[in-house]
Amino acid sequence: MRKTINILFTLFLGLIMFASCEPNAINEEKLFLNEQQVQDLIQDGKLYTLHEFVDNFMTERGNYLSDTTLYRTRGNNESVNPGIHLFSIDTLPSYGEGIYIRGRVTTDDFGGNFYKSLCIQQIVNGEQQALRLSVDAGSASGMYPLGQEIIIRCNGLAIGRYANQIQLCVPSYNNNKYAQNAGQKIGWAPGRIPFARFRIATQLVGTPDKSKLHCDTLTIGEIIDSYNVKDARQEDGKLICIKDIYYTGEYESTSGLQMCTTGDPEIDEYANVFAPTTKNVGYPQSRVISDGINKTLVSMSEYAKQANFYIPGADSLGVTNCPNYVGSVTGILSYYMDNASYAPDQWNWAISIRDLDDLSLFKTDAEGNQIPWIPVEYTK
Amino acid sequence: MKHLCRISALGLFSIFAMSTSPTLAQEQNNLANDSQQAYATLQSAQTSLVGTLMEQGTNKPIVGASITLVNQNIVTETNQKGEFLLSYLEAGDEEIIIEADGYISTVELTTIQQNIQNDCGTFYLQVDMANDVRNEILLNLAEQDLNDDEGRTQEQASAASSSTDVFNNVTSFAWSTMRYRNRGYEQIYEQNYIEGISFNAAERGQFNFSAMGGLNDASRYKETTNAIEANNFSFGGIGNATNYLMAASHYAQGWKASVAGTNRNYKAAIRASYNSGPLNNGWTFMGQVAFRFSPYIDNKGIIGEGIKYYSLGYFFSAEKVWNKQHKLKLITFGAPTLRGQSAAVTQETYDLTNQYNKTTWGWNNYNPYWGYQDGEVRNSRLVKTYDPTVIVGYEYDIDETSSLHIGLGYHYSMYSNSALSFYNAPDPRPDYYRNLPSFLWDGQLTERGTFITKDLNDYELGRMDEEGALLFNQSYNGTPIGHSIDLNAYKALHDLWTSRNDRTTQIDWDALYRANYANNYANPDGSAKYIQERRHNDIQEGMLSLNYSNSKFDHLKITAGLEAKQSEGIHYKTIDDLLGGKQWLDVDPFAERDIAELATNIGLTQAQIAYVMQNDIKYYLENDNPKAITTGGRFAYDYRINMTNVNLWAQNEWNWNSVDLYYALKLSYSNMQRTTDMFNGRAYYLTAINPTLISYYLGDRYSSLDHLVNNIPNRLYGTMHHFFDPAFKLGLKYKINGRNHIKINALAETKAPLARDAYISPRVHDRAIGTIYQHDQAQSLSDFYAASQKIVSGDLTYEFNYPIVRGRVTGFYTQFWNASELNGYYDDEARTFVNQAMYGINRRHFGLEAAVAVKLGTYFTLSGVVSAGDYSYVSNAYCITSAENGMALGEKTDLNTGINEPIYELKDSVLINGLKVSNGPQLNASLKLSFFHPKMWFADVTVSYFDRNWLDFAPARRMKGLFYGTRTDGTVVNGGFNQLYIDNTTSTDVRQHNADGSIAMDAYGVPLLEKPYNYLVEQESMVHSNPWHRFLIDLSIGKLIYLENRQSLSINLSVSNVTNNVYMKTGGYQQARLPRATRQGVLESEGNSTITSNIWKFPSKYYYAWGTNFYMTITYKF
Repeated sequence: MRKTINILFTLFLGLIMFASCEPNAINEEKLFLNEQQVQDLIQDGKLYTLHEFVDNFMTERGNYLSDTTLYRTRGNNESVNPGIHLFSIDTLPSYGEGIYIRGRVTTDDFGGNFYKSLCIQQIVNGEQQALRLSVDAGSASGMYPLGQEIIIRCNGLAIGRYANQIQLCVPSYNNNKYAQNAGQKIGWAPGRIPFARFRIATQLVGTPDKSKLHCDTLTIGEIIDSYNVKDARQEDGKLICIKDIYYTGEYESTSGLQMCTTGDPEIDEYANVFAPTTKNVGYPQSRVISDGINKTLVSMSEYAKQANFYIPGADSLGVTNCPNYVGSVTGILSYYMDNASYAPDQWNWAISIRDLDDLSLFKTDAEGNQIPWIPVEYTK
Repeated sequence: MKHLCRISALGLFSIFAMSTSPTLAQEQNNLANDSQQAYATLQSAQTSLVGTLMEQGTNKPIVGASITLVNQNIVTETNQKGEFLLSYLEAGDEEIIIEADGYISTVELTTIQQNIQNDCGTFYLQVDMANDVRNEILLNLAEQDLNDDEGRTQEQASAASSSTDVFNNVTSFAWSTMRYRNRGYEQIYEQNYIEGISFNAAERGQFNFSAMGGLNDASRYKETTNAIEANNFSFGGIGNATNYLMAASHYAQGWKASVAGTNRNYKAAIRASYNSGPLNNGWTFMGQVAFRFSPYIDNKGIIGEGIKYYSLGYFFSAEKVWNKQHKLKLITFGAPTLRGQSAAVTQETYDLTNQYNKTTWGWNNYNPYWGYQDGEVRNSRLVKTYDPTVIVGYEYDIDETSSLHIGLGYHYSMYSNSALSFYNAPDPRPDYYRNLPSFLWDGQLTERGTFITKDLNDYELGRMDEEGALLFNQSYNGTPIGHSIDLNAYKALHDLWTSRNDRTTQIDWDALYRANYANNYANPDGSAKYIQERRHNDIQEGMLSLNYSNSKFDHLKITAGLEAKQSEGIHYKTIDDLLGGKQWLDVDPFAERDIAELATNIGLTQAQIAYVMQNDIKYYLENDNPKAITTGGRFAYDYRINMTNVNLWAQNEWNWNSVDLYYALKLSYSNMQRTTDMFNGRAYYLTAINPTLISYYLGDRYSSLDHLVNNIPNRLYGTMHHFFDPAFKLGLKYKINGRNHIKINALAETKAPLARDAYISPRVHDRAIGTIYQHDQAQSLSDFYAASQKIVSGDLTYEFNYPIVRGRVTGFYTQFWNASELNGYYDDEARTFVNQAMYGINRRHFGLEAAVAVKLGTYFTLSGVVSAGDYSYVSNAYCITSAENGMALGEKTDLNTGINEPIYELKDSVLINGLKVSNGPQLNASLKLSFFHPKMWFADVTVSYFDRNWLDFAPARRMKGLFYGTRTDGTVVNGGFNQLYIDNTTSTDVRQHNADGSIAMDAYGVPLLEKPYNYLVEQESMVHSNPWHRFLIDLSIGKLIYLENRQSLSINLSVSNVTNNVYMKTGGYQQARLPRATRQGVLESEGNSTITSNIWKFPSKYYYAWGTNFYMTITYKF
């Protein structure tokens, strides 16, 4: 009998073990650095502001190769843009003193318009500084959402310029034979940081807080007239807002501004939606906005969720109502110049919106009421 | 009474197995379970033989043992007191073979006197100690379901074996590591019964071995019939048929307790069983409990790293014998089990993680499914199984020559597996291809898979060192990384992997929680970013079995049976853990992403567009929001497949002096009907664009989509499909003499498709594979059987049976036509998950099995077995590919209107003709040396060789359209390219070869069989190039100690893969996923041959045999 009891007791113990469950949920406080932990973290090195970081580690020609002819083929042209290198890579030491930067995420790729890139901002003495992070991860904002502050240990990574856009990156050799004008685009250029590597380098500081994001309010004129190629680098990636703008119904092409069509966006790259097909090329589509004086572009990827929504005021009949919707646009200021054989112009600038909530446009009816613009998707 | 002419020491015929032995169909005198009274009152006016069988050392009766008279070819079984009786015998010298599961077989000689009852006294059998251990290891192997990421299931070794057959006995254990399948057949072709009731699940066709997890005593007794041969409990099939005997009277009386330790998936086990023996009131009771466990162990590189395992098995059997004629059996068992899983990974991943180990010990044990959560180990893939089973059996022995057995069974098989799911967030899998160092090669390889040395501008590549010299052929840690890859970026990733960084090589649970907590602030009403979901595949079945047997007529035994089964497969998802998130919104993420495209395709209204992404339109309409799911909530899909199966079979067995003949016929009726409790948006969408196909997508009782949307019932009923299938088999045994037999068997049958393979996208809609509709609307016999698989099989056996040497040689041939299977994978081209239903699969299996056992002196027995076969596909198959989210996968131009029409189901040929079936090695051989010493020492060593083993292919990589530019349905692949092999103007084949003919090339001189083409075309061999790495050696040693009062203590150690061969690939699969725009052919725009250069991006994944592993058990009987 005693043996029987012993056996049953052993089995009872087993049952208890069987019921053992998974580890308890982690306390939120453990997962986000507080200010003291940030200070502890940077003890082995130095925390740079974004501008300090760029100024200290980025050079015009880059340090990755002594022979810069292997940089992207059309990245520099001394006769047209003397002293300008649109592509560069400066590697950062893997070991030794820690190189830290911190900033708050200003992008969200939920809408599909920020493919494998993040922008962060840092407010220094009341002024916005910004930097792009090139990260090889789709839906990165799932881990680094809008308003999240992060701190990055940059050792072993690189700082470089891609089409004049400064970004944290790793060196990558472009040899994409399927690209348009492929021969002009080959060579070393900033590449995306492998996500496994980026996650190791990055920690989250506090919880996300969109209200702490700083947005510079600018006019189109201030954007397109004020900067040369080098100055533009400091402005690229900033979160900005432009007020009192409307869509003109135009797109920009090498032959000037043209009116959008009412075609099928799956076929017609000039259709009056935000981002119709690029016919497998993959560049961001842009549509023209105006504040009545100047014009610039709002860009969107054809892979964005709202790519096939009509631009404000447009419909199946055309774009004549576009100027009726007036309001503000908020987004990431973007300066993109990938060919040094041409002089820069105002169309190098564009505003990348995160989703359609970044457009706040209204039509005023006969009674003076403000009627908000409601997005409408193209249908056949 | 002394034994007559005892010719061998007990146990010297260790594991002698004769294919003659289990043919219970031949029994003429089966009074095995008669009561003692009946036994005592038998008259001796006839020539008969009686005896008793006991366990050596304990003198406990051995129940259910097989007693065979070799010369007269008569078989019977021992009853619960270990007694046996054979009557109506011929006088003369006779050889008796005594076999029992769990014991070492033996042979005795006797002389039978005419017209008297000959009493041969008591025989003693030795316990086969290794058998218990092997039985447990086999059960453990069989319960592991190695589902890959693409939903395919790896075939496992069968746990059903007979220790009384030399071939099965050696092969079932020694070859189980390599997932050997008898004759290359999948599990679905093996029939598994419990007390005469079929327990192969109707939906999956397989037996659920985890239902008996750890219950090695309960599952110890079984009758196994080789392949087609006749048996007395079922019609059988082309595979082995096993009937587990679980009535309480089969087990020996007394207590038994054991403890075990192992370094396999679980680390320890304790077991206890008790059998009351027959009580005065006629009842016998038997019970067993078994507890197996392993806590989480995070030692990287050990077998079962990151796996936890808890299993509590119980078994209870009660049997009531009223009298000679009536017997009632009640059986219930189950084994609630929680176990972590491990995954197949790519060779690169193994190579990297193996560097963490300093030696080969611990190689290939990397498991990506686990990680740390706040410092504690957690596995993302936890399987929960529990299959409570109840069986009631009634045996009515009408008279001495006829009997009726009735069985009722019910089981509810709960099976679920957890997995991480994510929504608009990075893939959390550590071994995701983009997280591996090789992803840096993207764009840096030539079309032939070598590193580029010059760029497009013909500039010679090579990064400069500090002195300005170009660095060619960079490498790191012995791995070449080419000319154009940043060494630092590679090193950083490489070192994270080789050091097995916790956040890189394992799941970073903290990061998943962090993402969800952050999302709670950033998007408080949205879906969690990461969850741990649970995918349920439950099966509920009720079974009825009637078995009538009559041997009233001279030389003839008639057996007939009725099997009926009502089944319900239940499929749904729940949330196991929100991982800190607030809720999960029940929408299809792929449909949500592609909704713009869906809408533009057909011009749905905005309100209708909102339906498409919903998983439950009814809920959405009632609440105007998608369902917000919290922990335990059901989501995504919730469908059932109801099935009815009825089999009626009859068998005649004729036995004459020199010839035995049997033939049997079976008629089967089955039906299947899918129902769903969630009317999802993709089914709505597909119906909306094809209103005339509403019966296909939703079921034949619906005619109007609008009406349905306005009146969505709680459950939608799909179309019911009915099938009738006949089967016939026959066999002949020619007895050259008492020691040499020739047997021939043949079978022909049709089999309705399994429900799991019948629907092209069962989570979404009701649409079945095309041949089922052809069957449903049949106008001819060929149409009627268009959906059924046809099988013809035959085998020829020569068996011999001498005191020193016994064995058999069997040749077999089986042809399968028109099988079907369902696969799913992520399609890069469509950027969505697709389902791929393949049908019209034709295979041929033929080969040879041979087994021989030779007695070597007093202590040793040498057994040799070999199986060599060729299991191949003999034609191409067909495939329907459709997107899980309902989106179009292609388009074609209407020649009349010029308008491009979307295509939702791509139909193409699958080029598999000539490929090998991936069901384990096709060449296997073993030599086993067994040792037994009368002082109760046991040992054996087995050396096995495996060859001709191929990796499972992915149909997605063998679609005709990839190679010819045009699918079988006439649609064009990837924007169109010309046919590669055919000159369009002359219609001639333009393939060419290089000078020595070894390399086939296309019309443009691009080799077809060089890398990367072999990733598309060749079937990969899993056999190691070094022949020494194809051997496995297993060892077993044991000691039995007899104690006072019939108690005993036994110790057994089984060591597998003694030489730590870590190079044996046991399984795996070719990833179906292909990079975008993959094809070989001629782009119209380029005018030359081209193929995607990054075809290597999704390489095959493998499982390896464990290194040296052991299982030690100590058993105490009292």
